[in-house]
Amino acid sequence: MKEYKNKWIEIGGWILFLFAVGFFCLQMGYFFVHARYQVEYIDNRLFYIINMLCVICLVLAQMLLLRLNKMLKIGIVIVAAVFIIVNGFLLDKNNGQIMNITSISPDFKHVFSVKEDVASGEAVYYRSYYSILARPKEMLPSEIVGEYKVEWLANDIAAFTYQTPDNTIQQFIGTYGDRKNGTSYYYVGAEIHGVWQGENVEVNSNQEGISVTENNNTELFSWENIEQFGTLAVILKNNNGAAWTIALNENFEVHSDASKPTVGNISLYKATMDENQPIILHDKNSR
Amino acid sequence: MKKFILIFSTIIIIGLIFGISYYEMQGLNSFPRLNHSNITTNPSTREQPQVAPLHPVNNDSISYSLQNDELNITFNKGQDWVKVPVEKDLLFDGEYRGNKQTLIDDSYILTEDRAAFLYRQGAVVLKNSLDQGKTWKDVIITESFPVLRFRKVDFLNEQFGYVIISGDRTMSQEYSAAFLTHDGGETWEQTADLPTTRLISDGGFVDERTGFLSYGTINPEEPDLYVTQDSGNTWYKAVFHIPEQYDRIFVQTEVPVKEEDHLSVMVNQGPNGDYEGGRVKGKFISKDNGLTWDFSEEVHPNERI
Repeated sequence: MKEYKNKWIEIGGWILFLFAVGFFCLQMGYFFVHARYQVEYIDNRLFYIINMLCVICLVLAQMLLLRLNKMLKIGIVIVAAVFIIVNGFLLDKNNGQIMNITSISPDFKHVFSVKEDVASGEAVYYRSYYSILARPKEMLPSEIVGEYKVEWLANDIAAFTYQTPDNTIQQFIGTYGDRKNGTSYYYVGAEIHGVWQGENVEVNSNQEGISVTENNNTELFSWENIEQFGTLAVILKNNNGAAWTIALNENFEVHSDASKPTVGNISLYKATMDENQPIILHDKNSR
Repeated sequence: MKKFILIFSTIIIIGLIFGISYYEMQGLNSFPRLNHSNITTNPSTREQPQVAPLHPVNNDSISYSLQNDELNITFNKGQDWVKVPVEKDLLFDGEYRGNKQTLIDDSYILTEDRAAFLYRQGAVVLKNSLDQGKTWKDVIITESFPVLRFRKVDFLNEQFGYVIISGDRTMSQEYSAAFLTHDGGETWEQTADLPTTRLISDGGFVDERTGFLSYGTINPEEPDLYVTQDSGNTWYKAVFHIPEQYDRIFVQTEVPVKEEDHLSVMVNQGPNGDYEGGRVKGKFISKDNGLTWDFSEEVHPNERI
């Protein structure tokens, strides 16, 4: 029985040791891909967390695999503790300088990432690669002050809502897909031409712009006040801030033939710091 | 075993400590520099699609990108980019089947000393820069030329270069021509007309006087190579002495190269060859500067030429 138990302890020890080697290789690989492809961890804290996991696995593996005398055990634990404390300190210090905002898509395929320089308030949107790596893509137009939130409007559309120093609410949309095989650019405003209806809300996209009617109040957003992100979403702006986001749902079909009926839904998402959910709209003519 | 684990663990710990030092000292955790090559500011109007950061098409330090429907070149692995003032579609104008993700092979030169792109816009033009894209000059190779199919440009040295183009294809016949420059690409003159209208498969010069044009792209049955030894004033059909067992096997010549005191050329099996998998080539050598060629050896794809 004891032998049986020892066998499992040994297997566990080797698994932990392999994990430690894996984490170590990951870190060394990171330096290589960073130098070669200018990518970084999608969240800066990952570097320190992986270091700590590596050392924890290593120490546990040693405890399980080796018969160490008390002094050696204490020595190893002290080295590991110092290492973990240093990494924890550096993690905290780094996090105080750069705020990492990350959110994983509902289908776990994409990661929305924004890093903010806490001192200057400047924020940069990162494009994710292989879930844990990312490259800086573009500056957010305004600094982030106070609250923010990320809402996934579809598996490939993340809406980032935040407050700015001039007390406006801004939205930034991360898009990770396409509704037309990725072969050509198209305009969301033109694709949703027509009247769309949802619960107590109506959206009308026509030559003048996009108007939103909520509880019988209609606001028209001219095309100059509409900003497109990727090929999946637009933001409707008023008074220098964002008012709404309109996103193409996953069932929305983009086709070049205007005579064919529109297929699919769109989502309307209000720019507010309150808890809110996107409203699903359907084409009024298709029902 | 105990020793192995302890040594390996020590290596890992030391590696991680070095890693942390490097990470902190190199500022890998710092906020990104606002480098316009890899960060684009947010487009302010809805008309503007988001611009993706440029990535070189390969890992060479001198490379290019065709992203965003434009041609950009880099001389330092993508850290800095220079936009080439040419419409991307012009670079693929003519008979081209591909996805436009990479430039047509041989239709451009990209080296530290010269960036040049060959295309047709009514005339056949070589867009040329000798200062890594700071200034560009369009040199007309020929005023009028039909729709391009084959295109190749190369320089053997600073002064001497050649352009080989073909076009106006009807079925398996077309017009092909070679042009030479002796003044670094400032002026170009056409060589003598070529005595064949078969489809050209490749061509090139080995020195300022000696050049070759290889013909036959669809079901070639034997090498069809023309050679000039007087800078293109006259073209002769080269003679190949092919051993019987390789008759109708090695059928399409590549561009000859100089080797010690003779020339050598690889003759491949064409598009439909199936001799030993179809990738084995025949090496022929010529001791009379390209007029006659004798079989030397078989070259397998994994061997060095």
